[in-house]
Amino acid sequence: MKNTIITNNPKVFEGKQDKTDIIYLKDDSYLSVLLLARDKIHKGHKLLTHPLSGSVKPNETPYKSIIVTEKKKEVDIDSIRIIEESIQTVKKFLSTKKTPLWTDKILKDFQLIDYCLIQSAIESMTQF
Amino acid sequence: MRLELGKINISDVQFGSITKLENETLYVNKDEIISLIMQDDHIKHVEVEIAKPGDETRITPVKDVIEPRVKVSGEGGIFPGIVNKVTTVGCGRTHVLKGVSVVTCGKIVGFQEGIIDMSGPGADYTPFSKLNNICLVIDPIDELKQHEYEAAVRMAGLKVATLIGKAGKEVEPNEVEIYETKPLLESIDEYPDLPKVGYVYMLQTQGLLHDTYVYGVDAKKIVPTILYPTEVMDGAILSGNCVSACDKNTTYHHQNNPIIHDLYKKHGKDINFVGIIITNENVYLADKERSSNWTAKLCKYLGLDGVIVSQEGFGNPDTDLIMNCKKIESQGVKTVIVTDEYAGRDGASQSLADADPLANAVVTGGNANEIIVLPPMKKVIGMLDYVDKIAGGFDGSLREDGSIEVELQVITGATNELGFNKLSTIEF
Repeated sequence: MKNTIITNNPKVFEGKQDKTDIIYLKDDSYLSVLLLARDKIHKGHKLLTHPLSGSVKPNETPYKSIIVTEKKKEVDIDSIRIIEESIQTVKKFLSTKKTPLWTDKILKDFQLIDYCLIQSAIESMTQF
Repeated sequence: MRLELGKINISDVQFGSITKLENETLYVNKDEIISLIMQDDHIKHVEVEIAKPGDETRITPVKDVIEPRVKVSGEGGIFPGIVNKVTTVGCGRTHVLKGVSVVTCGKIVGFQEGIIDMSGPGADYTPFSKLNNICLVIDPIDELKQHEYEAAVRMAGLKVATLIGKAGKEVEPNEVEIYETKPLLESIDEYPDLPKVGYVYMLQTQGLLHDTYVYGVDAKKIVPTILYPTEVMDGAILSGNCVSACDKNTTYHHQNNPIIHDLYKKHGKDINFVGIIITNENVYLADKERSSNWTAKLCKYLGLDGVIVSQEGFGNPDTDLIMNCKKIESQGVKTVIVTDEYAGRDGASQSLADADPLANAVVTGGNANEIIVLPPMKKVIGMLDYVDKIAGGFDGSLREDGSIEVELQVITGATNELGFNKLSTIEF
C-alpha cells in the first residue's frame, strides 16, 4: 500500500501520479483536509508532511494537501501532536476572519503554491 | 576570516547621467538600470522610481529589498554563485552603500505581498522607510509562469544592486568596522574562558515563493552546514522568499543580520562567537528530522555551550524551530529561540503552532495579527489594487478615502524574526 495525499486542491488531484494514492476532497475546506488527516493518524497512519506547509495563512488560501503513510500498527504520537496543534492554529485564524471568496485567477495562484509545496515534499520522499 | 566592512553614508539619491557617489548623494543612471533589466527576455517592462524617507509614498507589492555592496579586496564578489563566481567570500574589504536600497516589486501572484510606507504610522513598522529606495516595478512578458517571473524579479534586483554597489568601490568610507572569526581551534585557544556560542540560522525553503539560496544552491537541498559569519555579509545567503511580508527575511535582512552583528559585539568580551550553522525549513517531515538532527550534532561537535536559533516564516517552521531547540538542548547546549507571533488581534491566543518546555528562552519580534490603519498616500509605487488581497488585508480593507485597515502581516519586515525591527514583548 502506498502513501496517501489528502487534498482539496484540484491541481494536485489532476497532477496525481503512480507514486502515491490520493483522496480528493472536492470543494471541501482547508480545515476538512486536516480533520481527515487527524482521523487517519488516530487510526495508525503517520504524518509525512507538515499540515501548515507554506507561509500563506490558513484563512487566506482555501487549499491544503497533506501526505500520510499507509496504516501502521502503532499510533504515532508526534504526528498526533503536530496535527492537533495545526488544527488549533487553523481554527484560531478562521475565528478571526473567514477565507475570502477569491477570484478564479487568485484561486489558481493558491492552487499552484500548494501544488509546488507538496511537490517539493514528494520529490524528497521519492528520490530513492 | 577577517572582513573590513566600510560604510559609506548616503543621505540622498537622485537620477543622473552616470551612476556615481558625490558628497553623500548617490546618482543613478535610470537608462543604464533599465537596459540592464531588459536584458532578461522574461521581462516586458520596468519602471524605476525613487522613494525617500518622509515621502507620502506607498511601495507595494514588495518582493525583495537589497543593500548595494561591492568587494574592494579579498576573493570573490557579492552574491557568489548567483551574480559572481562561486568563490568563497567573507575576507578582505567590502564597501556598503548605507542608507540606500534596491526594492523589487511585481504582482507574481494576486495575493500576499508587502507594503513599505515612507511616512505615516506604517513607516514606523518597517525599517525600509528610513532608506532611500530605488524601486524596480517589473512586468513580465505575457503568460510567463510564476516561478520564472519570481526568478526574473529576483535576478533583476540582485543585478541592479551589484551595479549600484560598484559606485562605492573607490570611495573612502565614513566608518570601517572589522569582523573576524578564526578557525575553531584557534578561536577556542584565544578565549579559553569564554562560553562558546554559535548561531543556528534557519532559512525558509518550502518551495515556490518560499525559497532561499546559499552560494547559488537552493537551500532546501542542503544538509546543515557551517559558515563564517562574514560570508553572510558578502551576500552568501539571499532571499527568494516572497510570502509573509512581516516575517520573511529579505536579502537586506540577511546582509545586515542583527543577530550576527550583536554576537560580534559581545565576542571576546562576554562570549566566544565561533560561527554559524545554517539549516532549512522543508515541508517533508523526514527532512525536518534530518536537518534538526544535524544542527544538534554540529552544535555538539563544535563544543558549543549555547546557541541562538532564529526562525523564518509562519506555521510549518514553528516545528523546525522546536525540533532544533529540543534536540540541541538534549545535547547539553543552551538555546535562545527568536520567532514572532500570530497571537490573534488581542494577542491572547497561543502564539506558535508548536511548543516544548525546553523552549524556555524566547525572543519575539511581535504579534503579526495586530491591526493598523494605513492612511492614503499621495503616490503609490507598484499596484495598490493588490493591497486588498494581501496577507492580513480584509475584503474591502481598501476604504473609499484610500486608507487601508490591515494586520501588521502586510508590512515588510514588521515582525522580522532576526529582530531587525522595534517590536517585541517583555514578560514581567
